[in-house]
Amino acid sequence: MPLRLDPITRKKLRRFRSLRRGYWSFLMLTGLVVFACVAELFVSQRALVVRHEGRWFFPTYGGILPGRTFGLDYDWETDYRDLQARLHSDRVASNRGDFVLLPFVPYGPIENCYPEQFFKPRAPDFARRHFLGTDTQNRDILARLIYGFRHALIFSVWFVAGVYGLGVLLGCAMGYYGGVFDLLVQRVIEVWSNIPFLYLVIIVAALVKPGLGWLVAINVAFGWMGLTYYMRTETYKEKARDYAAAARVLGAGDARIILHHILPNTAATLVTFIPFTVAGAIGSLTALDFLGFGLPVPTPSWGELLSQGTKNLTLAPWIVLSAFSAMTIVLILVTFVGEAVREAFDPKKFTLYR
Amino acid sequence: MSSPFVSFVVKKLCPLRVVLRAAMTASLCLFLAACSGSKDPATPAGSSDTQSPVDNTAEVQAYYAAHSDFFVSKTPADLPSDLAWTDVGDLPEIGSPARIRGGVWNERIQDFPPTLRTVGPDANNGFRNYLLDDYVMRFGHLHPDVAGPHRHYPGLAETWAVDAPNRTVYVRLDPKARWSDGPAVTTDDVFFMFWFYQSSYIQAPWYNNWFGIGENYTRVTRYDDRTFAITIKEARPDMLARVLENSPVPRHFYREVGPDFVTRYNWRFIPTTGPYVLTAAEQQRTLTNRNFITFERQADWWANDKRQFRYRFNPAQLRLRVIRETPTAWEAFLAGELEAFGMNLAEYHYDRLPDNDARVARGLIHKTTFFNDIPRPNYGLWMNTARPLLAEREIRLGIQYALNWQLVIKQFFRDGYSRLNTPSDGFGDMTHPTLRARPFDLDLAAEHFAQAGFRRRGPDGILVNDAGSRLSLTLNNGYEMLTPVLVILQQEARKAGLDLQIETLDSSASWKKVQEKNHDLAFAAFNVGVEPFPRYWECYHSSNAYDQPFLADGTTPNPDRKVKVQTNNLQTIAIPGLDALITRYDRSESLEEMRGFARQIEEILHEDASFSPGFVRPFYRVATWRWVHFPDNFNVRFSSDAFEQNVHWLDDAARPETLAARRDESKSFPPSIRSYEQWKTKE
Repeated sequence: MPLRLDPITRKKLRRFRSLRRGYWSFLMLTGLVVFACVAELFVSQRALVVRHEGRWFFPTYGGILPGRTFGLDYDWETDYRDLQARLHSDRVASNRGDFVLLPFVPYGPIENCYPEQFFKPRAPDFARRHFLGTDTQNRDILARLIYGFRHALIFSVWFVAGVYGLGVLLGCAMGYYGGVFDLLVQRVIEVWSNIPFLYLVIIVAALVKPGLGWLVAINVAFGWMGLTYYMRTETYKEKARDYAAAARVLGAGDARIILHHILPNTAATLVTFIPFTVAGAIGSLTALDFLGFGLPVPTPSWGELLSQGTKNLTLAPWIVLSAFSAMTIVLILVTFVGEAVREAFDPKKFTLYR
Repeated sequence: MSSPFVSFVVKKLCPLRVVLRAAMTASLCLFLAACSGSKDPATPAGSSDTQSPVDNTAEVQAYYAAHSDFFVSKTPADLPSDLAWTDVGDLPEIGSPARIRGGVWNERIQDFPPTLRTVGPDANNGFRNYLLDDYVMRFGHLHPDVAGPHRHYPGLAETWAVDAPNRTVYVRLDPKARWSDGPAVTTDDVFFMFWFYQSSYIQAPWYNNWFGIGENYTRVTRYDDRTFAITIKEARPDMLARVLENSPVPRHFYREVGPDFVTRYNWRFIPTTGPYVLTAAEQQRTLTNRNFITFERQADWWANDKRQFRYRFNPAQLRLRVIRETPTAWEAFLAGELEAFGMNLAEYHYDRLPDNDARVARGLIHKTTFFNDIPRPNYGLWMNTARPLLAEREIRLGIQYALNWQLVIKQFFRDGYSRLNTPSDGFGDMTHPTLRARPFDLDLAAEHFAQAGFRRRGPDGILVNDAGSRLSLTLNNGYEMLTPVLVILQQEARKAGLDLQIETLDSSASWKKVQEKNHDLAFAAFNVGVEPFPRYWECYHSSNAYDQPFLADGTTPNPDRKVKVQTNNLQTIAIPGLDALITRYDRSESLEEMRGFARQIEEILHEDASFSPGFVRPFYRVATWRWVHFPDNFNVRFSSDAFEQNVHWLDDAARPETLAARRDESKSFPPSIRSYEQWKTKE
């Protein structure tokens, strides 16, 4: 059964689709997100398929396959590029039909790609499939970009969920109950917003190893305030409407009125802010990584790449170019989507009280 | 033993000769990368105008009187008549007679100094080096070219005499010795040195402790204005150093020391016995412009013609420019605004300014590598044996073989560094001659891990034991710049089935964690000044590991013992036999005997396998503009960078033509890419 949307929402979506720039940005962004989710299939040091002595292996997901699996003399993870070269040069194996199928970019994000050489950024090398070159620690930049993007996405999802959870909850409560509660929370927010966020992050980062959870928690703790004000005004506005009064007359409780009547009518506000919140999240994660207060090493991250790049502007311009372009493209896409959503959901266009 | 001045903010592994080099003369102190702290100093200068003058003379005299066992006044007639006075006249002279005096030496500092005090809060930063460590005269200085045994040459002292049986060193001050504001240096300043450093007003517990009555020194005796004697607690082989390597404290300047010392003296320049002073006019100028601060050389410095000093401290001005970022400093160097740049990092030496760079090939910039011979900071992994997994020696051995330091040296340091073999390398013949660090060997690692019950690999390739716990340990790190080193170790250790979780924290937070003994493995190093022999008690004695390490029999580990925090025993090592050796080593008065003990101690430590020796940099590298000159042999044996002994000089005439030639490709000068290997240690 097709999803039933009410006519106004359908109209909004149609309008969104008609905004070409935003719509295409949305498609591209979705494509990127999907790509990041299955990045192992395209960028990874693990082979996609190995056929060895008549058996099939699909090492991409799951536990590691030690070298002994393929008759090599070690217990750690198989070096599939090496295995491919071995099988290729081994006539017996080739005749048996053994082969290794590597992903398009056969490097992992924390893998040292030149294990026998000095640490030194190397320029893009298409023959070796380092399409964006390597960074100062001999790691493939493309791989780091893609997996860094994935981390940024995970971070954004949690960040948006946290900010919206807190912001909507408190904002609605402020608007709905008003009075002393509203006044109190407003003062709390004012005090809270004056705590310098960056210093707090620096302090926390100095004391604990800030994993993703920590970073999300800190960012949410200091990111929820903005949304409460929008939700508060929306709720104030909606609760004064007749339908809210009608619901109350019918005996609906506070929770039901807020969740079933007011919240759906503030959805336009909520939705329009999402893309900008995501952009903000990616930006702040990158900034924290850039400053060295972000994800623990050797997690791939854009901020860390940017920081390397700025230190090696003249020596290795490809680092900063890659990271900067990736960041710009993604943020522009998100912003285009955001603008289109805002325009499509603009209440002035669809208001029933004309 | 070097001077007692410990500083805790130590060198950063940074290409520049950063100002954070305060610990050059330090005793054992941590080699954490740290930046000088406060960024927002209070208003400098002038503060004394608003403070009411105080005179502490009565208080000081009363203190001397109250501690008459420590502060003793006698007459010249009381001097023992059989003393063998010496000035060690025959030591080779430091510096080059070819030197030219004059010119402005531009150097980088990372921050404007937060205070001009040398003790108390905020004083322990890199700027102290200019106020005290490298630029102030001591009674006698360790000769930086002579070893086996180490020798001292006179600074403020004219001659001295050692009375070993009575643990006393007699010193006669140089009659010419003067403070920069005029008065002569007298024994008053020596007495006062003890009062000052024992005073609680200075808010410096380390000094209070070191100079405390009976702590290291048991008596100071004044015979006349120029002659004094200091008696120390134990007549160790470094007795002379412990006395001579002190600097007196100007009594006349510190008349106002009281409870408000920290604020009152925050912005007063301490009169110096050294060549460079901060003038009142310069201090006034820095009120409005803190981009740089300039020290002037006194034209009539009292030691201008003194042996060992006459060819040093050559520039007429030291201009310290505040440049926060290293890349900015690098650009400033290339623009000719800084005279020199440290090239210790491979990236700078090989990539940013390779030997075939036009500026080097055309002789505008000279590159020098100098192999020095000093006690090495012992970079490595310190394993906390109080932790459940690490308590087992087989696991520690497995870790030793699972750490690929060779690859670190190869990839990160581009083969320039070498492997550290013991925690006490670089002490000449006091270093163990044959012990070698364990190599990276996956078979041996697997063997030892298997002995400890880790035989099976989990789905992620990490070893698990029969109880199902993973072989996973946290690796504490306080050096952000060196994080790639740990990533290499981490990735290589995975091959052995060992999981290392790198925890990079801010340097001081990281060190705090290690001091609280909350680490599994810690990546750290102790920086050591030039000393004749290593210290063991701090790092390896059981009394620094546990509150009550053993039961009454002295050997059975106490089951209820608690780990002792805030000590340097990072391995929580407690071995009765080791304790006994350390005690005998510390009481020994003969270097020969100590050498024997040291070797046994090192062997026990090697067997214990709780320290994985990392790397040493056996040299320093520096790039200088061609108007900077050095003596023929470049520098002294015990130097940790090219400038600490101040043997360099400037040829200002060459500056304009060199700078002009930067843009004129037809001009070139003889290139100079040199490596001085006269002190290179043989493998």
